[in-house]
Amino acid sequence: MTWHLIKRELFEQLSSLRFCLATLLTVGLMVVNAIGYIDAHRTQQTDYRQKTTAALQEMERRCDTLYNLVISGPGQLYKKPSNLSFCAAGSEDKLPDAAAGRGAGWGMGPKINGVVYSTSGLWRMDYNIQPPLTGKDIFPTFLKIDWVLILTVVFSCLALVFTFDAISGEIESGTLRLTLSNAVPRRTLLTAKFLSAFVSLSLLFFIGALMNLLLLYLSGTLQLTTEECSRIAGIFVVVPIYLSVFIALGLLVSSRANSAAPSLVILLLLWTIWVILIPAALGNIVSGLNPAQSRRDSSRRHIVKNQTRERYLARGLLAAAPSRTHPPTSATQLWAEFLNEDRHAAERSNRELLQTQIREIQRAQNVNRISPTAIAQSALEALAGTGFQRHLQFLKNVDNYGKQFNDFLLDTDRADLDSLHVPFVREGMSDKPVTFASIPKFEDKTRLEDAFSVAMQEGMLLLLFFLVLFVAAHVSFQNRDI
Amino acid sequence: MWTLIQREILTNLMTFRFFVAVVACVALVLATTVVLTNDYARRLANYNAAVTKHSQRNFSAKTYSYQSLWLDRAPNPLSIFSQGLDKRAANTLKLARGRVPHLWEDNYFSTDYDNPFRHLLAELDIVAIFQLLLSLLALVFAYDAIAGEREAGTLRLMLANPVSRGTILFSKYVGAMVCLLLPFLLSFLLALLCQMLIGVIQWTVDDYLRIGGIFATSLVYVSTFYLIGLLISSATRHAATSLILSVFVWIVFTLIYPNVSLFMVNRLIKTEEKVEQANRKIEQLWEHFHRERKKQHNPLEGRNPLVHSSGWHGTDAGKNCTYIAPEFEPQIPAVKAYYQSVVTRRIQTAEKTWRERKQVLADTYIRKSNIARNALRFSPAGLYQLTTEAWAGTGLRGVEDFFTHMRHYRQTVLNYFDDKKAFSSRQWFASDRGEVRWDDMPRCSYRRPRAVENATQALPDLLLLVVLNPLLFLATFLIFIKKEM
Repeated sequence: MTWHLIKRELFEQLSSLRFCLATLLTVGLMVVNAIGYIDAHRTQQTDYRQKTTAALQEMERRCDTLYNLVISGPGQLYKKPSNLSFCAAGSEDKLPDAAAGRGAGWGMGPKINGVVYSTSGLWRMDYNIQPPLTGKDIFPTFLKIDWVLILTVVFSCLALVFTFDAISGEIESGTLRLTLSNAVPRRTLLTAKFLSAFVSLSLLFFIGALMNLLLLYLSGTLQLTTEECSRIAGIFVVVPIYLSVFIALGLLVSSRANSAAPSLVILLLLWTIWVILIPAALGNIVSGLNPAQSRRDSSRRHIVKNQTRERYLARGLLAAAPSRTHPPTSATQLWAEFLNEDRHAAERSNRELLQTQIREIQRAQNVNRISPTAIAQSALEALAGTGFQRHLQFLKNVDNYGKQFNDFLLDTDRADLDSLHVPFVREGMSDKPVTFASIPKFEDKTRLEDAFSVAMQEGMLLLLFFLVLFVAAHVSFQNRDI
Repeated sequence: MWTLIQREILTNLMTFRFFVAVVACVALVLATTVVLTNDYARRLANYNAAVTKHSQRNFSAKTYSYQSLWLDRAPNPLSIFSQGLDKRAANTLKLARGRVPHLWEDNYFSTDYDNPFRHLLAELDIVAIFQLLLSLLALVFAYDAIAGEREAGTLRLMLANPVSRGTILFSKYVGAMVCLLLPFLLSFLLALLCQMLIGVIQWTVDDYLRIGGIFATSLVYVSTFYLIGLLISSATRHAATSLILSVFVWIVFTLIYPNVSLFMVNRLIKTEEKVEQANRKIEQLWEHFHRERKKQHNPLEGRNPLVHSSGWHGTDAGKNCTYIAPEFEPQIPAVKAYYQSVVTRRIQTAEKTWRERKQVLADTYIRKSNIARNALRFSPAGLYQLTTEAWAGTGLRGVEDFFTHMRHYRQTVLNYFDDKKAFSSRQWFASDRGEVRWDDMPRCSYRRPRAVENATQALPDLLLLVVLNPLLFLATFLIFIKKEM
C-alpha cells in the first residue's frame, strides 16, 4: 500500500506544472553555473602559481645572509584556491587571499659606536591583509550562482512549493477523506507524501548537478581527484538532509491549514524570513550591536611596545652595542632579550586581534545557525574547501609554518660553528648565506577529515531540524480533524 | 466604487497576512535601522578623527614641496537606506602633484572595515528589506484578488451588479495598496523616528527630499509587484495556481534574474587585458619622465652633507633645506629652474597618464558596471535598487562625484601654486628664509550634490517603473475582460 501511495504521489509530482517549472529553473541555473566557472579554476590556479613563484623568488633574493631572513621573514603566503568553488564560492573574493610574514620595518634606533640599531626589526606574521575586493570594486553586489545558492534558496523554496498542498490541498478538494476511508494509516500517507517530494526534488538536484559536472568536464575545466570526488559525495549527502527539512516544514504547515493557498502564503513568509532575511541580516545585527575592538581602537600594542622599550632602556640598552665577541657579552644578551620580547609582544598582539576578529564572525555565524540555510551553507563550504572554515584552516597552516620557519632559522644558526648562537640579534647569529633549497616552503594543505568533521556537525544539526519538524508534522496530522 | 474599496480594505486588514506583514516589516526595518545607524555613527566618528588629524597635517609643511594633502570623504547618511558603493569606495585619499585622483587608485585607503572578515557578513539596508519583503507581500495580497473570488464564485455575484470591470479592478488595486501602505509607512516612519532618537544624523532639507524620493519609489515598486500579482490572478482559475506562478515570478525577478545577470556580466566581460595594457603604457610614460629628469642636473643632488635638509633625498618630491651654505647661493637660480622644469613635467605626465587611464576606465570598469546596471533594469527589483541608489547618492555617480570634486580641487591647488610661482621659488625646497604660510591657500569643501541632481539621476529609472504600472493595469484589465466576458 505504501509503495502504491508513493508511486501515486510521485507520478503526480512529476507530471505537475511546478515540476516542469522547477526543472527549467534547475537546468537554467546549472548551465549558468557551468558557463560562469568554465576556465575560472584554471585562471585561479595560474594566478596562485604566479603569485607563489613570485613570493619564492622574493625569498630567494633575501637569503644572502641568515639575518636578512630573520628581519624580512618568509614573505607572502598565499591561500590555495579550491577546485570546487563552483559548488560553493564561499565568498572567497571577500576573504584575504594571503597572510604575510614580513619585516616590522626599520624603526631607526639608537646609534651605538656608529652602527644604527633597529628596535623593531624581526619578522612577524600579519594576518590582516585586506581581501582582493576593496574600494576599487564598483560592480553591483550579487550572489554567486553556485550549488549553495541553487540548493539553499531555489530548492528550499521548491520544497515548499512541492508540499504546501500535500494535505491542505487534499482536504480542500475532499480527496483526503476518500483516501483515509481506505485502510491507510495517516503516518503511511504522510510518509508517502514526504518520500515522493523527497525523491523528486533530490533526483532533480542530482540530475542538475551531474549535468553541471558533465558540462565542466567536457569544457576541460574539471579534473577531479579522489579527494575531490569524496567531497562531492559528501555534498550529495548533505543536500537531501537539507531538502528534508523544508519538505517536513511544508508538510507541517500544510497539515495545519484548511486550504492550499493560505498554507503557501504562511510558508512563503516563513521561508523569506528563515532563508533570506535571517542569514543576511541577523548575524550582522548581532555583530553590529556588539562590535569587536578594531585595529584602530587598540592603542594597547603601542603602549606595550613603549613600556618594553622603556624597561630595557632603564636596564642600559643603549650603554653598549652588541658585538661578535666570544663568549657573548651582556650587551649582546640584553639586545637579544629585548628584540625577542618585542617580537613576542607584537605577535601576541597580532594574534589577539585576529582572535577578536574571528570571534566576531563566529558569533554572527553561530547566531545565523537558527536558519538551516546558514547551516547547509557552512557544510557545503567546508566540503568544497571554501569559506570561513577553510580560511581558518589556512591561518592554522600559516601559524604552523611560522613556527617551522623560526625553527629553521635557529637550526641553521646552530649549524654554524662560528656563530654566537644568540638569536635574534645580528651579531649573535650566523652571517653566512643560506641555501634557498634548505628553507622550508609554505604549503597550504587541506585535510579531508576536517572538512568531513565540520560537515558532519552541520549535517547532524540539519538532521535535528528535520526530525523535529517531521515529528511535528506527524503529530499535527494525527490530531487533525478531517 | 467607494463601497468596493472599503470592502477590499476591510477584507485585507482582517487577514492573517496583514498582521504578518506589519510585524515582519516593522521588526526587520527597526532592527536594521538601529544597527545601520550605529554603524554610521562609528564611520562618522572615524571620519571626524581623520579630518582632525589631516587638517593639522595638511598645512604644517614648511616648504611647498613638502606639503601633502590628505582628504576625507564623509559617510553618506542616506546609506542607511541604500548602501550602494558608499561603504565600499575608498574614503581617504592623498592629493599629489604626480597623481590625478580617481576611484581606482591603489594609494587610497578605506577606513570603514577594520575587521577584514566583516566583508563576509551580508549587510541588508532598509531598501533591500523593502525590495524583498514588500514585493512578496504585494504578491501575497494580489494572488487571490481575482482568482480567489473566481474560485469561490463571488466574482460572478459581483459582476451581476451594475459595476464595471474596470471599477472592480481599480477598487481592488486601491484597497490593497492602502493596506500595503500601512506596514510600509509605519516601518518607514519608525525607522526615521529611531534615527532621530539615536541623534547621530542631522537631516537637511535636501536629505528629506531624497528620503521622499526613496519613499515615492518604494510605493511605485510595491504597486508594480501588486499589479504583476493582479495580472497573474486575473489570468488563472485557481488561487493556488496564481500563487505558485506569483512565487515563481517573484523568485525570478528579485533573486534569480538580478544575480544571474550580474554573475554572467561579471564573468563574461573581461577587463584585465585592457587594464594591463593601459598600466604598461602609463608605466612607459613615467619611465620617460624619469629618463628626462635624470638628464637634467640638480645642482643640489649628492651634495646634501653641505646642506641641512630633511626629506626624500635625491628626488624632487619633497625637500626642506633648513640651511643653505653661502657658497651654494650662486647655484640657487639653477636649482629653482630645475624644480620649475621637473615639477611642471611631473604634473604634465600625471595629466597624460590620467587621460590614458580615464579612457581605459571608461572602456573597462565603467562599461562593465553600466552593462550590469542596464541588465538590472529588466527586473523591477533591479530598477528599484538603481533608483533608490540614485536618490541616496550612493551609486557610482554619487561616489564618483567626490573624486571629480577632488580632481577640480587638485587643479585649484596647482593653480594656486602656479600663481605663487611656487615651483620656481626658494620656498619650494628651503625654509631657511622663512616657512610657507598657507593662510590664503584654497581649502577643500566638498558637499554632496543637491537633491535636484539626485532627482535628475533617479527620474529615468523611476519613470520606467511608473510606466510599467499603467501597462500592467491595462494588461490585467484586458485579460480580466476576456476571461469574464
